Amino acid sequence: MPREQDWYRLDNAGVLYSALKKEKYAPVYRFSAVMTEPVDPEALQQAVDRTMPRFPSFRVRIRKGAFWCYFEPNPKPGPFVRPDISNPCQPIRDRADNDWLIRFYYYESRISFEAFHAVSDGSGALAFFRAVLAEYLRERGIDIPPDPLLPDVAQPPGPEELEDAYGRYAGKRALRKRLQKTAYANTSAPEPFYTLNVTMGLMSVAALKAKAKEYGATITEYLTAVLLLSLLEKQRAERPFREKPIALAIPVNLRAWFPSGTLRNFMLTLRPCVDPTLGEYTLEDLIRYVHHFMGLSLNRAEMRAVVTGNVKFTRNKLLKIIPLFLKKPIMAFSYWLVAVRPFTATFTNPGAVRLPDSMQPHIRRMEVILGQATRPSPHCAAISCGDVMEVTFAGTGTSSETERRFFTHMVREGIPVKVISNRSQQEVR
Amino acid sequence: MSYCVNCGVELDGTAEMCPLCRTLVYNPARPVDRDGSTPFPTERGEVALDSRWEVAVLISAMLGSAALCCGLLNLFFLLTSQPWSLYVIGAAAMLWVFIVPPLLWRKLPLPAATLLDGAAVGLYVLLIAWELDGLDWYLHLALPATILLAAILLAQVLLFQKRRLSILSTMAVVIASVAVFVAGLELLGDLYFHGGWEPSWSLVVLIVAGALEIPLMVVRRVPKLRKEARRRFHI
Repeated sequence: MPREQDWYRLDNAGVLYSALKKEKYAPVYRFSAVMTEPVDPEALQQAVDRTMPRFPSFRVRIRKGAFWCYFEPNPKPGPFVRPDISNPCQPIRDRADNDWLIRFYYYESRISFEAFHAVSDGSGALAFFRAVLAEYLRERGIDIPPDPLLPDVAQPPGPEELEDAYGRYAGKRALRKRLQKTAYANTSAPEPFYTLNVTMGLMSVAALKAKAKEYGATITEYLTAVLLLSLLEKQRAERPFREKPIALAIPVNLRAWFPSGTLRNFMLTLRPCVDPTLGEYTLEDLIRYVHHFMGLSLNRAEMRAVVTGNVKFTRNKLLKIIPLFLKKPIMAFSYWLVAVRPFTATFTNPGAVRLPDSMQPHIRRMEVILGQATRPSPHCAAISCGDVMEVTFAGTGTSSETERRFFTHMVREGIPVKVISNRSQQEVR
Repeated sequence: MSYCVNCGVELDGTAEMCPLCRTLVYNPARPVDRDGSTPFPTERGEVALDSRWEVAVLISAMLGSAALCCGLLNLFFLLTSQPWSLYVIGAAAMLWVFIVPPLLWRKLPLPAATLLDGAAVGLYVLLIAWELDGLDWYLHLALPATILLAAILLAQVLLFQKRRLSILSTMAVVIASVAVFVAGLELLGDLYFHGGWEPSWSLVVLIVAGALEIPLMVVRRVPKLRKEARRRFHI
C-alpha cells in the first residue's frame, strides 16, 4: 500500500470555502438516504469505520499554515454516528468533534451524511456516501455484490481520487468577467443562531419528466425556470422601489466535460439571470431562456477559461505572500463580491443518484440539504432516486414565501407535491 | 392524508400546520397524528464552540513580551532617565483588558465588558497623568470625559440589548450619542479652562446632529415615509 500523503493543498474551491469558515458559519451540505427499514446505529458505525480508510480525502482535518489552510490526515477516532438533530448543517468548528470535517447522523430510517464543502463537492460526496450505504447494507446481512459504482473498500484508493482537477485542467488563457450586477437578495428576518429551516417537497420523477417534456426541457431546466418565476413574483409582491435582477448560482459538475476521478471539488457555477425591469416573464419564456442559456454556457473552452481564471486568482503571487490571517478577510470579501452579491439563491441538482440494482430496493429516497447561506435567504437543492424527486429549501431566514410560491406553482402545474419540514415541529411543539 | 387548503400540497400526517403558509391542519376524517414520529427529529443540537484559549494565550504573550522588552530597554539601555516604557506597558495592559477577557469569558455581559473597558482607559490615562504630574487635569477633565464616554456607550449597549431597533432608530441613537458626548466634552473643557460654560464648536455639532435627527424621527414616525425609505433603500 503506498504511503499516505502527509498533507494536501486545498483545491481552488476549498481555498475559498476555508476562508469563509468562522465560528458561526461554514459551508456545509447534507445528503440523506431514507431506508426502507429503521437504521441500526451499530451497523452504521461499522460501515463508516470500514469505509473511511478507503477514502483518504474525507479522512482529513483542516490546519492553518502561515499562508494557506491545508488538509492533513486525521488520526483521531471517529467520525462517530449520532442521533440526528432538528437543525442540520451546523458550522464546522476548530478542534470540535475530533477535528472531523464530516458527520454522520441517523433518525428513524434516515441516514444522513454532512460534509464541509472544502473537502468535496456533491459528486465526490455522493460517491463516498454510496460506498457507506453499501457497507451498511452488507452489515445488515444484505447481499450487495461488487459493482462498478461501488469502490472496493479493501483496495487502496486510486491516485486520481485525490487530484486537484482544477489545477490539472487550468489552461493559459483566463476568461475575465466583469463584476456582475447585484441581484435581489431574497432575505428575511434571521432566525436565532443554530436554526436552519428546512422544507422538502417530494414529487414523482415521472410526473415531473412528463411536464418538463411538454415544455421541451429537462427536469433541471424546468425546476430552474419555476424557481426563477417564484423569485420574480416574490420580489414583485414586495414592491421594491427598483427591482433587481434575479440570478441563480447553478453548480455544474465538471467531470462530465473534463474526465477526472477526483473526489474533491471539481465544479463551476453558472448564472442564469433575468431582469424584471424589462417586463413580465411567463414560465414558457423562462424555460426557453434557461434551456438556451445552459446550452450556450456549457462549452468546454469557456468553462476551462473560467477555471483558469479561478486558479490564477488563488495562485496570484501577491495573494500568495499575504499571511493567512490577512488573506481570510480578502478571500471572504472576494467571495461576497463575486459569489454572494450577484446571486439571489443557489440551485443545485446532483441529478438522479445512480445506485446498483442490489441497493435500490432498500433505499426509499435520497435527500439533499444545502446548509446555511452567508445571509438569511434560502438555497434550493434537488435530488432524485427511483421515482422520487426531492426538492429542499433551506435557510436561516424566517420567511417561507419562496418555497410556498415554488411548490404551489408545481401544484398548479398538476404535479402533486408532499411537503415535510422541520418548521412544523419548531413552531408548534 | 391531509392537504393544505391554502397551498394544495400534501402534508405529513404529524404536521399540525402547513410549513409553507402556516395554515392549521383541521381534518376531521384524519386527525393530526400527535404520537407518530415526525419527519425530522425534534431535538436541537449544538456544536461545541471554538476554544479561544490559544488565541488568548497568544495575544497575552504578544502584549506581555512587548511590555517586557520595552521595560527592559527603558531600564538598562534607552533613555533610562525617563520612564517612557510605562506608556507602552500601560497601553499593552489596556489592550489586554479590551481583548482577552471577552475571549476567555464568553458569557461576560456586554455592559460589564463596557465598564471594564472604560475602567481600563481611565487607569491608563491616570498612569499618563501621574507620570506627567498632571493629576489636576486628570481629575477635572480626563476622568469626567472618560466617565461620560463610558456612560454613553453603556447606555447604548443597554438600549440595543433591550430593544431590537430599526436601522433608522439606531442611526438616531448613534447621532444623539455623538452630540451628547461632544457637548459634554466642551462643557468639561470650558469648566476646566475658563471656569464656566461657553458653548461654541459643540453648537455646530449639535445643530448638524439636530438637522439629521429631525428628518430621521419624522421618517421613523410616519409609516408612509418609513415604507418609502424601506423601498428606496431596499431594507
